[in-house]
Amino acid sequence: MSARIIAGQECRDLWLSGRGPVLTFAYAVLLSAVTYLAATNQILNFLEQRESVNLVLQIAVAVGVLLTLVVAADAISGERERGTLESLLLTPVSRGSIVLGKLVAAMSLWGMVFVVAVPYLWVLGKGVAVVGEALLLGLVVGTLLALSMAAIGLLISARSSTNKVSLAASLFLLLALFAPTQLPAMPTSSVGDLLVRINPVTAGMHYIGLVLLKGHTWTQDLSYLISPVVTVVATAVALVVLGPRIVRLTGGVGSG
Amino acid sequence: MPGVTLEVRELSKWFGSRTAVDSVSFTVHEGEVVGLLGPNGAGKTTTIRMLSTVLTPTGGDFAVAGVPSSRPADIRARIGVLPESAGYPLHQTGLEYLMYHGRLFGLARDEARQTAVRLLGQVGLADRAQTRIATYSRGMRQRLGIARALVNNPSVVFLDEPTLGLDPAGQREILTLVRTIAEARGTTVVVSTHTLPEVEQACSSVLIMNRGKVVVSGSVAEVTNAEAAGRQSGHLRVPPDQVARASEVLQRVPGVSVEVSKDVVTVTSADGMNTVLSAVLDAGITLLSFEVDGARLSDAFLAMTRGGSS
Repeated sequence: MSARIIAGQECRDLWLSGRGPVLTFAYAVLLSAVTYLAATNQILNFLEQRESVNLVLQIAVAVGVLLTLVVAADAISGERERGTLESLLLTPVSRGSIVLGKLVAAMSLWGMVFVVAVPYLWVLGKGVAVVGEALLLGLVVGTLLALSMAAIGLLISARSSTNKVSLAASLFLLLALFAPTQLPAMPTSSVGDLLVRINPVTAGMHYIGLVLLKGHTWTQDLSYLISPVVTVVATAVALVVLGPRIVRLTGGVGSG
Repeated sequence: MPGVTLEVRELSKWFGSRTAVDSVSFTVHEGEVVGLLGPNGAGKTTTIRMLSTVLTPTGGDFAVAGVPSSRPADIRARIGVLPESAGYPLHQTGLEYLMYHGRLFGLARDEARQTAVRLLGQVGLADRAQTRIATYSRGMRQRLGIARALVNNPSVVFLDEPTLGLDPAGQREILTLVRTIAEARGTTVVVSTHTLPEVEQACSSVLIMNRGKVVVSGSVAEVTNAEAAGRQSGHLRVPPDQVARASEVLQRVPGVSVEVSKDVVTVTSADGMNTVLSAVLDAGITLLSFEVDGARLSDAFLAMTRGGSS
């Protein structure tokens, strides 16, 4: 009940105070530009329709994960700096409910990012029977990745001494996780394949590519989803166990 | 005698090797308004944060409204707190802010709205209920914070520096509000502040802390008199045409030395002030005012916190 009240207020703060709509608008502009280029540009339109759908879906998942992580990274350390966390800690609401409420609010941003991507995917995938599958894939893999990043963002936010530290650490982590997706043909060697599999972001993105581009069935490469699932479970357990102890008035290691 | 609403036993807090609060013990009764005084770094805020369960004590225990410190959530349900330098969600309106906190304390939506509207009226913000907090002045935000501290109808209210950064009129306004809360609701109020003259008026008792310890506690009169007891000098103000006669009369009293400056006669006596006052009144001199050195709370505060960090 308390978590629902906090989630409701956090969502109102996110979506009515301007931050959520502004981020979503910027993302929609980016998606529009990519979709337009993929569909019309002479250099880019060599992409086969499936590849265009895959490209836009991967961008949607990447941006969704990024925004979710950024909002989560600000959720506790930001409130601490703005002086509003103490008022929240002074209510009888449990620390677990506070964390859950903030997690739901952060995830609402991923939900909006996904919804915004739907018409773009529909336009690009028109004529080939791939839109439904792409949407379902994006929903499953994107939710797994966004959930794990939101949980990691909250853990970092709770532990950080300042909001700047929290945002910097979260963005560095995201960069480290996404960097391998830019390397060419990573899974061609056994070491490369291992690196792709243990990184939840590269594993999830690779799985999307295998299903959408190579036409694999959902169950054929399911092992690529092990690390995203394990990350979600591990971060959720960490939040449940550590949340009540690390959501406190002062951040940083060894603080009172 | 009203019941005890706050009982603190040997409460301590260490931050690493630094002692913030050192074995503090005191009791506060129902309806009492306690001024928690002390220089910066005395441990006032840490004490309030421990009593409001935001910080975990290193040692000792306490009970609020009969609820032991081992049940922090139950304590939080019975207290209201205005934290030092409290922040506010600037995009929310005062009404939204109070309703949100009312709901976190378990009120239904309608009940939370009614409570918020009532409290905004009580703190003088009824006409600004639908305005964003960003447009509130500092004094208005403090009043909103006090309203938030009352949203759960608490047994004990902790106000940490409620007058910080306010002009004298704003300080008086807040302390009047504090007194009203205590009188109208019978709520125990613990207020940490530096505005000592107002504390003398608003508080029924004071507790002075220095370097993490309680150095003195009691009613305002007890604390003030304890400091004034050893003092032997005072200032008499008499009409200008009677200054010379007052000086003459007092110089005849054994053990009294006299200094005159304009219409104020400063006397020092080895036997206290009774003989001085008797001599002046017996001589038929009109006494306009009389003040004993050290008879104000601020003097007691300064004497007892000498060597403190401020």
